[in-house]
Amino acid sequence: MGVGACATRLLGDFGAEVIRIEDRNRLDMPRRLPIYKGEARTYGEEDANPDPNKGGLFNNYNRNKLGVTINMRSPKGRELAERLIASSSVVTENFAPGVMERWGLTYERLQKLRSDVIYARMSGFGHSGPHAEYRSYGPVVQAVSGLSHISGLPGEEPSGWGLSYMDNEAAFFNSSALLTAIYHRNLTGQGAEIDVSAVEAGINLLGPVLLDVSVNGRSTRGSDFPTGNRLEHPDAAPHGVYPCAGDDRWIAIAVFNDEEWRGLTAAMGDPDWTVEPQFASQAARFGNQDALDARMAAWTRDKDRHELMHRLQAQGVAAGAVQTAQDTNDHDPQIASRGLFFEMDHPVIGEARFEGTPIKFSQTVQENWRSAPLLGEDNEYVFKTLLGMDEDEYAALDAEGVF
Amino acid sequence: MGADAGGGPMPHPLAGLKVVEVAEDIGGEFAAMLLGQMGAAVTKLEPPQGSPTRRVGPFAGANAGPDTSLTFWFYNANKQSAVADLATAAGMATLRRLLAEADVFVSTLQPARLAALGLDLATLTEEFPKLIVLSITAFGLTGPWVDYKSSDLVALAAGGPLISCGYDDHSIPPIRPGGNQGYHTATSFAQIGVMLALLERQKTGRGQLVDVSMHEGCAVNVELANPYWFYPKVNVQRQTCRHAQPSPTQPALFRCADDRFVYFALILADPKPWAALVAWMESKGMAAQLSEPEFSDLAYRQGRFHEVQELVECFFLVQTAEEAYKDGQAAGLPIGVLNAPEDLFSDEHLQARGFFTQVEHEGIGPVTYPGPIYRFSSFGQAPRVRAPNLGEHTAQVLGGSGERPAGALAEVSQ
Repeated sequence: MGVGACATRLLGDFGAEVIRIEDRNRLDMPRRLPIYKGEARTYGEEDANPDPNKGGLFNNYNRNKLGVTINMRSPKGRELAERLIASSSVVTENFAPGVMERWGLTYERLQKLRSDVIYARMSGFGHSGPHAEYRSYGPVVQAVSGLSHISGLPGEEPSGWGLSYMDNEAAFFNSSALLTAIYHRNLTGQGAEIDVSAVEAGINLLGPVLLDVSVNGRSTRGSDFPTGNRLEHPDAAPHGVYPCAGDDRWIAIAVFNDEEWRGLTAAMGDPDWTVEPQFASQAARFGNQDALDARMAAWTRDKDRHELMHRLQAQGVAAGAVQTAQDTNDHDPQIASRGLFFEMDHPVIGEARFEGTPIKFSQTVQENWRSAPLLGEDNEYVFKTLLGMDEDEYAALDAEGVF
Repeated sequence: MGADAGGGPMPHPLAGLKVVEVAEDIGGEFAAMLLGQMGAAVTKLEPPQGSPTRRVGPFAGANAGPDTSLTFWFYNANKQSAVADLATAAGMATLRRLLAEADVFVSTLQPARLAALGLDLATLTEEFPKLIVLSITAFGLTGPWVDYKSSDLVALAAGGPLISCGYDDHSIPPIRPGGNQGYHTATSFAQIGVMLALLERQKTGRGQLVDVSMHEGCAVNVELANPYWFYPKVNVQRQTCRHAQPSPTQPALFRCADDRFVYFALILADPKPWAALVAWMESKGMAAQLSEPEFSDLAYRQGRFHEVQELVECFFLVQTAEEAYKDGQAAGLPIGVLNAPEDLFSDEHLQARGFFTQVEHEGIGPVTYPGPIYRFSSFGQAPRVRAPNLGEHTAQVLGGSGERPAGALAEVSQ
């Protein structure tokens, strides 16, 4: 639901004129989800008749874009979409496979409209193979690709993911695929069809455990895998998430060698237990993590997570407060100093915050020129000014319900 | 569609570009590898003892050594390895000589390390105006935490994804999702950053400094947690293997007869998936009272949610996860089997797409690796070539005038 919008957001941020085509009669899911100012609801608790211009998730994904509405079920609507495609150089979609084909919008057709078109198809399973039409969203992709299975405490059900990580990651990789295709077209004049399967992207993100399976034949179904917050490799210890003062407050600490261990014990004030033989070497600490983690938790339990993070970092220990979105937005001096988040006004929502790009360029500039378009807000500008449609035709199509 | 799955005679879009990599973590190594897979010639400079990632297991077989780390193999395909000790004048001279000819310099060094080596990334872009310096670090090159140490766990914790992941029981700490996703997040933004810089260079002829922060990458990779903070100003609460939400939702993991799991979000409110679920259960003779007309009333079934949940739990318990996955999908429901990595190699869909790829490793034989992340119809990815042994290409890279030997590119694209 967010993959396509999130992938093109990046292009809009950096100067592309992105026109989002929507269907008035089948509202985009992020327009419907009840993420509103002043109302805390789970995303399952949708309005029956949502205000399409009020949804925060839509605003988050669609800044810096133009928005038009086209009724793709009408022949005139499809004709209009083709005119828009002919005047564009990149087309992206993330419908279930087959939908664009039903509208006749194959790569071959698009090439007839614009010979060097780049046509990016973003789907869960890719556009070929027996499961191409399987339904998916983030959690399904994470399950099928193996990312959920490799996450959790040993011997317990997987804890997997608490977010659609693969919606975002598939979007990011789709962005770089689009940029690569544009780079190639600039060099050669040649367009491309792009097929990204989120499941295949997910498998590329499984990490070295995949090779442990393919090379060493290791099983990941035993009672020793996955390993929760502990690592299998390297022999880091302590390596965990420990309780801090407050409700559901935690700190992550990762110690990889003797030097960092000495930093940790110094930060603790060198208590006697740290010199016990069971903690005398990295290997010993790694082998005795149950005892070590109990000691660690007893030490961290009454401390402020941020204060502790800074104290440990001062001793050269990798430590991070487990931060919420509230923390990263409002209380993180590192993020604030780099200006990651920013604000823009929205005609219905009002002032809203946006996720910036976690990249600082010395030359390339991100231009934030508008919040997300209202439903059909740019119909007139896009159809009349960009496509050159005259007043009469515009009025006729409008009256016929093509927009 | 005819998009290429890797290999084949199609051109590689970054062919002809030279990348020099000084990376001490997998985020930078992965980023440079992706450039290599798009056809760039990547030279990895390593200290005499090798990249730190060469010492991270698991290892191939029982032999732990710099050339058998599977962590190193995973993130360092399609590269050449040359030993150059940047702590020495000779090593630094080698780096500068390579940078003079390079298009992209991938660095993971944090500012204190750069300063200790006498390297200034901004100055490099002035000295070598066409050079794109792609810096991928824990916190970026500026800011009060700039030299703080990080790791995958620490990045996911401080950046925000971690608090959304774990179990319903909040006496259990948040649990790190597996597979180095903090670093992978940094890599995916690095990929975007370097492509934007290459496009800019196509227009202006000039390189630039691209400063990617893993911490910030994680902070914008939390999905709904940010909009839930931007708009209603609530922090989402983690739940077992399903979306963190402002308030609790029903479990979505179902155990099957073979002790594997499927993910299925049981949503009662939407009439279409509800009807599909009941029809599917009926087809197996297990719909029980759910077939009764009163259950088609939303308020009625919502009032009996626990009854519904129990019946669905029983329904999954009598079939295998694979069966539930395929039949559920055939019924039009978004259901996913929780594959283990070892299940993927025999997945019929991935096989039909020819996804996995075999790479020859001397003395070991063919090793199965994941195939490409993306497929393009008019150009392709270079076939995967095994990660280099430590210093395997030192003589070629350092020898002679410093020009890349003619054989180097051919070797990478064989």
